[in-house]
Amino acid sequence: MRYLKKTRYLQDINLFKHNGQRFWYGLLLLVMCLAPLGLDRFLLGELSLVYIYAIAGVGLMLLVGYSGQVSLGHAAFLAIGAYAHAYFLNLGWPFPLSLFTSMLLTGLIGGLVAIPVLRMSGIYLAVATLAFAVIVEQTLTHWESVTGGFRGMLVPKPEFFSADLNAYIPFYYLCGGVLILVMLAGLNLLRSPTGRAMVAVRDSETSAQSMGINLARTKSTAFAISAGFTGLAGGLFAHKIGYLAPDAFTLLTSIQLLLMVVVGGLGSMHGVIYGAIFIGLLPSGIAVFRDAVPPSIGQIPGLEPGVFGLILVLFLIYEPLGIYGRWQKIRLYFEEFPLYRRSTYKRQKTYLRTERLR
Amino acid sequence: MSLLVAEGISVSFGGVKAVQDVSFSINEGEVFSIVGPNGAGKTTIFNLISRIYNTTGGRLFFDGVDITRVPAHSIAHLGIARTFQNTELFDRETVLKNLLIGAHIHRTSNVLSDLFFLPGVRRQELAFRKAAEDVIDLLDLRSYRDQVIANLPYGVRKMVEIARALCLKPRLLLLDEPSSGLNPEETEDLSFWLEDIVEDLGITVAMVEHDMKLVGQASDRVLAMADGKVIALGTPAEVQTHPEVLRAYLGD
Repeated sequence: MRYLKKTRYLQDINLFKHNGQRFWYGLLLLVMCLAPLGLDRFLLGELSLVYIYAIAGVGLMLLVGYSGQVSLGHAAFLAIGAYAHAYFLNLGWPFPLSLFTSMLLTGLIGGLVAIPVLRMSGIYLAVATLAFAVIVEQTLTHWESVTGGFRGMLVPKPEFFSADLNAYIPFYYLCGGVLILVMLAGLNLLRSPTGRAMVAVRDSETSAQSMGINLARTKSTAFAISAGFTGLAGGLFAHKIGYLAPDAFTLLTSIQLLLMVVVGGLGSMHGVIYGAIFIGLLPSGIAVFRDAVPPSIGQIPGLEPGVFGLILVLFLIYEPLGIYGRWQKIRLYFEEFPLYRRSTYKRQKTYLRTERLR
Repeated sequence: MSLLVAEGISVSFGGVKAVQDVSFSINEGEVFSIVGPNGAGKTTIFNLISRIYNTTGGRLFFDGVDITRVPAHSIAHLGIARTFQNTELFDRETVLKNLLIGAHIHRTSNVLSDLFFLPGVRRQELAFRKAAEDVIDLLDLRSYRDQVIANLPYGVRKMVEIARALCLKPRLLLLDEPSSGLNPEETEDLSFWLEDIVEDLGITVAMVEHDMKLVGQASDRVLAMADGKVIALGTPAEVQTHPEVLRAYLGD
């Protein structure tokens, strides 16, 4: 067991608590940078996709994991980001400006949608966001002058100072760089008053209100930031798939995004990365599975959504803290070995909540 | 001088008149207790002051300002902090983070500066931490600083909730049954801390309390209620011997 002796308040405020963390995260950064040397084209592409999912995941985690507001409509924000980015590029805007504007635009739409939607909570909120996703999907299909309707829309190649960012190695670095920036922004929020207000709203609205936290404003801020990050991911996603069509942003995408934060571990930024790796690699896993089993099982249509749903349910029942929660338990087991107590993480029932207001 | 004035406040839920035409005033620098049997409307009065419920009649003034219709989240900004009967802490966070949330109303940063964690935000965090540590020292919570609320015993949670309310640096502190769930020793400590809070920090305290010993020791004035109405108002000794109060508790 390691005990950290703290001597300065900044140790609790800075991102890295001790040199061990600096070393390991530095090593991770190095591995990220050197990955193109050892990986082939396909794997590098998959890894870029994982990064893109993680960017959207940071956004969704801030909303679901830290503010406690469920959204089943984040595919819509991914779509808005992607289409806006492609539209601006087609107008001839430079790449960084286009990406940044589409992020702001998506964030703005998220903030506006939040105002009516966040009057609801729980299952009603989930249904409202779902409805929003359906509206956006229909809009994409029918607003042909902008989106190209069913025919879809070609995404111009990203160029920056005449460097071709679409080649797979620059694109990998682009996604990695954006992910790091978004991650930093997310962590900054969480260690400052804005993030704490979100956590307060998640854990007890009544109490948050008595602490002077404006519920409506906090929730819509969370929604706007979440939508903005997802829109940013959408812009990169547009380049990844190369050609936009409405069927790239369906309900399944929303569920996939939600699956990512739940499986990764609600309420942890590590969980975003674990979840992104998980859903980024799951389709490949399912493809391998289809080949390995007899055709009568392997060729079942709708296997993917089925597996997604099953995994989501299993995690909710057996490991609500997701992969990150499981990892913490394993780590504690080894740290305390052989004194680990089996019931350390046993879920307790509290009987003191009977008189909660509202 | 009166810090908080209630003028004939009432509230009813459907047919139940929870609070009927209650008037009182809390003077600056005193400990004001509200006592009464279960269902007398004590907590409801707190919920009216902190604007969780809307009054159906009457008016509330804090420091001369009409607060009868201000939004609930503005109450804290005016200088009223509160605790809850069964604790409403942010359960999945550490004690320290709970206290920092208490400092929220003193923030000067906005979303943008938070996103980039500008130097001003860092300075603000340090200042918040310093203030939180002062409260931790006052209420002796040092050993719990980094523990998650869900793992703490009930008595400590009650103290953390008072600590969080103190982090708001309020002028009026509403304590809803601070001693419920505390053992006699902890209750004893609580009465000393109440003294510190009033005398050292200059905070006016209003509390709902069932422990008559604590009420007698700590409070300057007591309001006794039954069935949503005021039955007595005066010093602890006066109220304890008031015939109406005896009837409310013991029956005829």
